[in-house]
Amino acid sequence: MYKNKLNYSSAVILLFLTHLSMLGLVFIRGSIAAPINFLKLTGAVVGLDVGYLLLTLCYKQMTYTLDFMLLCILNMSLIFQSCFGGIGLSVKHLISCIMCLASCEAGFLLTRNHEWIRKQKKYIYLIILLLFISIIFFTDNQKKWITIGSFSIQPSEFIKPCFILVCAASIVELHKKLKILFFYISKDSLILCIVALFIFALQWWCRDLGSLPTFGVIFGCALICRFCYPKAKLSKRTVAIGCAVCALILIAAWSFAPEYVQKRLHVDIWADRYGDGYQQCEALIGIAKGGWLGVGAGNGSLHKIFAHDSDIVFATICEEWGLLNAALTVMLILIMLMTVLMNPPKNYYHAMMTAGVTAAFLMQMSLNIFGSCNLIPFTGVTLPFISTGGSSMMSCGFLVGMLKAGQSPLFQHEVLKRRRQKQHQKAHKAAQKQKKVNA
Amino acid sequence: MKSIRRVQKLITAMLLIFLAAFAFLIYRLQTEAGFYISNASKVSLGFVYDRNGDVLFDQNADAQIYGNDYFIDIGNLIGDDSRQMNNTLVAQNIGKLANFSFMLGEQEDGKAAIYCTLDHKVNRQVYHAFGKKDGCAIAYNYKTGEIYLCLSKPSVNILNHYEDIASLKEGSLLCKVFYPTVPGSTQKVSTTIAALESMGYDTLIGKRYDCDGAYTNQSGKEIKCHLSDGHGEQDIFKAFANSCNPFFAQLVEDSDFPLHDIEKTYQKMGYLVNGNGKQNYLDINGISAFTASTSLQDKTDFNTQWGCMGQGETLVSPLQLMVWQSAIANQTGTATYPYLISYITKVNGKLDFQAETSFSSQMFSEETAGHMREIMLQNGRENYSRLLPGTDVGIKSGTAQVKNGEKENSLLVGFVDDENFPIAFCIQIDDRVSGEVSTSDIAKVLLQNLHESLTEE
Repeated sequence: MYKNKLNYSSAVILLFLTHLSMLGLVFIRGSIAAPINFLKLTGAVVGLDVGYLLLTLCYKQMTYTLDFMLLCILNMSLIFQSCFGGIGLSVKHLISCIMCLASCEAGFLLTRNHEWIRKQKKYIYLIILLLFISIIFFTDNQKKWITIGSFSIQPSEFIKPCFILVCAASIVELHKKLKILFFYISKDSLILCIVALFIFALQWWCRDLGSLPTFGVIFGCALICRFCYPKAKLSKRTVAIGCAVCALILIAAWSFAPEYVQKRLHVDIWADRYGDGYQQCEALIGIAKGGWLGVGAGNGSLHKIFAHDSDIVFATICEEWGLLNAALTVMLILIMLMTVLMNPPKNYYHAMMTAGVTAAFLMQMSLNIFGSCNLIPFTGVTLPFISTGGSSMMSCGFLVGMLKAGQSPLFQHEVLKRRRQKQHQKAHKAAQKQKKVNA
Repeated sequence: MKSIRRVQKLITAMLLIFLAAFAFLIYRLQTEAGFYISNASKVSLGFVYDRNGDVLFDQNADAQIYGNDYFIDIGNLIGDDSRQMNNTLVAQNIGKLANFSFMLGEQEDGKAAIYCTLDHKVNRQVYHAFGKKDGCAIAYNYKTGEIYLCLSKPSVNILNHYEDIASLKEGSLLCKVFYPTVPGSTQKVSTTIAALESMGYDTLIGKRYDCDGAYTNQSGKEIKCHLSDGHGEQDIFKAFANSCNPFFAQLVEDSDFPLHDIEKTYQKMGYLVNGNGKQNYLDINGISAFTASTSLQDKTDFNTQWGCMGQGETLVSPLQLMVWQSAIANQTGTATYPYLISYITKVNGKLDFQAETSFSSQMFSEETAGHMREIMLQNGRENYSRLLPGTDVGIKSGTAQVKNGEKENSLLVGFVDDENFPIAFCIQIDDRVSGEVSTSDIAKVLLQNLHESLTEE
């Protein structure tokens, strides 16, 4: 049974208290130009809380921990996004949050049965292929977005959950191995490697180099689990060759990286303050201005900077809400990821899946937060759940659904069911034997 | 289950790495916030004061409050927040001057301030003592390291807000004290130290060489003496006082003085020799100061001998020339590192930084330091007794040929042999010609005014 089971009513109270206290802060310290805007925001936040909680009453779950945490983070995100540069409900972000919640449920329902989802591997490969095609043929000049009317979709965001699922499926299954050069490799692992290479090549071609590390870390997790599999033979030669290949790839990537990427890797942002270091310098100045407690919602100046609500959103929150609030938000996301440790998956597939999800979230958070604060090169990726962007929010929601499914007790149920069936069959056979003996 | 546990460990490791990096980020953000905020377009900055409480930097300074020339002597040393000059005290410590705290944000009436060791009054007096000439001067306490005086002329009047930047004289935006210059005969201090280290005091004072106005060295090149009739037979005391080039050329060629020993001593003193390695710099509260460099190829070679006499390829900063004096004056062979900031206060008025005296590693032996001190003091007693009446001063003067010999800079380095007034100094006058203000005139103004000011304290 779940170890992180929360008392339902306490969780609801906690959820409302968090959001109401944030709205209270907006009221006290925020720059409210028109009270109607604040009322709209309050209505949206409370409405989303109440609406989702009412929906959860319609179907019973074993636990609501992840649901509550996701809802808490999403409404915090809605408040943040609605206050940048002035109070006013961000309807677009509200829609993104609703889509995120919906895709969370979709992710959960689709992946909770590990045996079923494992069998759908070929269809997932097909979805990845279709996403490839859509990126190659239907995206805009930047090769990132498909624009339909006033909506834009970023297909590469949807490759992430699919890639995690195929990684988990390929690693979990043990296959007959073929010897290729010096390596013993299974057919499934080979296909996975080829797909991974295609994904990396596609990201390179699209110049979506910010997403490359995320895919890299998902694949890296799978490789580590593959190498460390209990029955895997791991000679020193294999490790050496593996390291050499990684080093070669890194050298090649460095050599062939576009000029602007190479420049970003060693740019002195303060020396190039009005050039390549502009966003990061402004972000750091904004964080300093905000201090621990912030300048108040809507009172910041970072909203004038490009990508203030996506690539440097951490700094924008720090400026208006303070580093303390921003750090608490990050901690809340981390606690959501930690629920996997409190309530471990019951099967290897789900374990692999949750590892991939955690790795993807952590890498994306690292790239966004540490990149905007100049600890690592600036890549311009979104901060999960907080940055604007429908595709990113839907993808993140689906990944949380997978995380929720990873904690599903379905595997145990099935085992019990099978055991009961076997016991039933045994009892049935024994009864028939007994009948025959009696006869 | 083992596999699941392994995956759990992997997740835990990833989370821990992220948490550690995030904790580091928070630490860095709150410790460097002052620097970040100082880069904002508008930020309240604290004052910089001299040792007597005179303002050296005020963000809102104007000519009506301070007078037009109030900051002229420290324009290129203290600088301002305009970012026109980078190697200045304010530019390098602007983060500490920001009236800002991460907890309370920006404080218009904050107490962030830098308290300097400079004596602005004496600094101005020495600046004006240069008259129409350009140059630089620096003086410090060779026991504690406090810089009392540091100026470079031409300078920039920061109150003009760089409106006249096009008409500024070359070098106005640089404090020459920290930059390389040809040291002239002041280099003979280093060469004498190397000789003392190599052959010992007794052997050195036993060396006698003739000077008849010029010396043809072993490679056939002529080294002229500034006295065309020559100085006659010289020992080290006389040659040092007379700055006799033929004597030092013959000393460098002497078989008791291997080139390797010169190189070794020079390197210990901070020279970059023959470009081998990385140029050394001294850090003066963030201000980067050049040390010294030279070329030593062959002891019979003209350029090597010429370099040992402080001409040609030898370059030393006036600050470094002064710092070596501390190792001699203290008779320790270790230099006292100079500093400009006495202490710094935070926005809430609490102490943020307090200067401490620090020393270099052993550059030469205590014995050598003692003998060198005696040689310099004898020169001072014989030729410079008027600088500070009643007190012995160790001195070495020099004339440096610059711009291919077209111009000559005049230099003077020395120290005061007084426990209660332990001052080492270096003065340079650019393009000096006979009859104009001399380095000893400026040294007199410097020492007498500084003595008066410090006695008043």
